[in-house]
Amino acid sequence: MDPQQPEPVSYLCGDCGAENTLKPGDVIQCRECGYRILYKKRTRRIVQYEAR
Amino acid sequence: MEHGSVTDSTASTFSIVEEDHTLANSVRFVLNQDPRVAFCGYSIPHPADNKVNIRVQTTGDPAKDVLKDSLQDLMVMCQHVRGTFDTAVTQFRQNNPTGMNIDQNKKK
Amino acid sequence: SKSSKDTDDDHEPKQQEKKLPEHLEVQRTRVVCKADAPVNTEGFQYASAFSAMGIDNSVSAEKFCKNFKVEISRLTEDDMEFDMIGIDASIANAFRRILIAELPTMAIEKVLMVDNTSVIADEVLLHRLGLIPLDADPRHFEYMSENDVPNERNTIVYKLHVSCKKGSPWLTVKSGDLEWLPEGSRLPLASPAQSRDKQKTYTSFSRSQNDILEKPLGVKFKDITIARLGPGQAIELEVHAVKGMGKVHAKWSPVATAWYRMFPEVVFRKEIKGDNAEKLVKKCPVNVFDIEDLGNGEKRAVVARPRACTLCRECVMGPSREQVELRRVRDHFIFTIESTGGLPPEALFTEAVRILEEKCERVISELS
Repeated sequence: MDPQQPEPVSYLCGDCGAENTLKPGDVIQCRECGYRILYKKRTRRIVQYEAR
Repeated sequence: MEHGSVTDSTASTFSIVEEDHTLANSVRFVLNQDPRVAFCGYSIPHPADNKVNIRVQTTGDPAKDVLKDSLQDLMVMCQHVRGTFDTAVTQFRQNNPTGMNIDQNKKK
Repeated sequence: SKSSKDTDDDHEPKQQEKKLPEHLEVQRTRVVCKADAPVNTEGFQYASAFSAMGIDNSVSAEKFCKNFKVEISRLTEDDMEFDMIGIDASIANAFRRILIAELPTMAIEKVLMVDNTSVIADEVLLHRLGLIPLDADPRHFEYMSENDVPNERNTIVYKLHVSCKKGSPWLTVKSGDLEWLPEGSRLPLASPAQSRDKQKTYTSFSRSQNDILEKPLGVKFKDITIARLGPGQAIELEVHAVKGMGKVHAKWSPVATAWYRMFPEVVFRKEIKGDNAEKLVKKCPVNVFDIEDLGNGEKRAVVARPRACTLCRECVMGPSREQVELRRVRDHFIFTIESTGGLPPEALFTEAVRILEEKCERVISELS
C-alpha cells in the first residue's frame, strides 16, 4: 500500500449511528446529520479469553 | 507417604496428597469402627496445601494394615451403597412407569 | 428342630442386642434441637464406646450392608430426592462434596471474540457464557492438559453469531442461539496456511463429532438470556468447552446444588390436649401437627407430618416447650440432587460413589 495514500477509515456517528468514511484532512462531521462526534469501530481481530 | 518409627509399626501418620476432608473424614469414621484402633484422627496442615495427614495408632497391629483394611471396608460400603441405590432406582421406575415427571413427594 | 449349633448362634446376637438405656440410646441416635441450640451433636464415634456395658457401637462393613436402605421419593429428569438410611454423616457428606466439586463436567472455557458491540462488556459476557449448562455427557470426552491440542475428543465448539438490524427493536440473545460446530472451529489461525493445506483453525479435529457421538450436542436450557442487543449491535464469537471439575471453577459443577438434611422427628413428652393442641397446630407454619378426635369432645395433638419440619423451633418455644421435643435422626438423610443437565441425577450419584471408591483404591495402591 502506498504510504502517501493511507486507507480511509470508517467511523460511526455518535448521534445517528451512520457509517462515515474519512481520510486524513477531512472535516470530522457526520454526512447524514452533521454531528461532530464520530467513534472508531471495534477491532475484528480475534481476542481470546478464559470464560471465568 | 508414611511417617512412623522404624521399631514401632503400631503408630503412624500417613500423608496423602491430593485428598481432602472427603476421603479423610470418611476413613476416619471407618477407622473408628475398627476395634484394633486405639486412636485415629486427621488434619489438613495448611488450607493451601493439597494434602491431608491421617494419624493411626493401634493396639498392636501395624497401622498401615489397619488403614488399608479401613479403606477396603469403605470401598465395600460404597459398592453396597451403589448397588442398593441402583436397585432402588430400578424399582422406583417400575412402580412409576409414567411417573418420571410426576412429583412423588406426597409423603410430606 | 434346631441343632445345638443353631441355638449357640442364636445365643450370640442376643448378647449383642442388649439395649442401651433409653437416654443413652437417644443421645447415640438423635440430635436434639433445643430452643436455643442443638445438643448431642457429636454422637459416639468410637466403636467400643459402650464395651463396658457389653454393647457394640460399631458399624462394620458387614453390619452396614445389612442395615443400609435407600428410599426414593422423587426422581425426574434433572432432580431427585431420596432417603439414605443407616449411613454416617461423614460418608453422606463425602458423596455430597464429590457431587459438587469432583465430578467431571463439560463447560465453556475458551472464548474467541471476533466482535462484540453490545453494551455488555467482553469479560462479563464471557463469564455468563462459561456458566451456561451444556447438554454434553462428560464420559464421552477426555481432559485437555496444558500441552494438548484441541481435538474432537477433548473440545466442543459452539459459535454465537447474532446481530440486531438497524431500525428493529432490541434483540434478546438466548443460550439457544449457540450453534454446535461438530467439525470444530471455523476461525482461521492468523499464520498464513500453505496453499495445499487445509486452512488451519483454532482446533484440529480429525473427524466430525457427529461420527463419535450418538446425539447432537446443544445447551441444556435454550432460554437463558446471555445479552441484549440494540439496533446496529452485534456479537460474533466462538466458544470452546472442555472437561473440568467443580473444585477448579463452579461452572464445572454438575449440580445446581446437592444437599442433605437429617430426618426430623417430633416427639411429645406429654400429651397435648384441648385448646393447647389447637394452639400447637396453629403455631406450626408447615403443618407438622394434626388434631385427633378422641370422642366426647376431647382432642389431642398428633405428629402427622414430621418430614415437613423445617426446624423453625416455634413449637419448642413458648407454652408447649415442656411437652414437645424436636429431634433429628443421626443416620437418616434426606438427600436432594439437582442436576444441571450433563447427566441425570441418579447417574451423578452413582458416579460420585464410584469416585469415592476410586479414591480408596488409589490410596490402597499407594500404601502397598
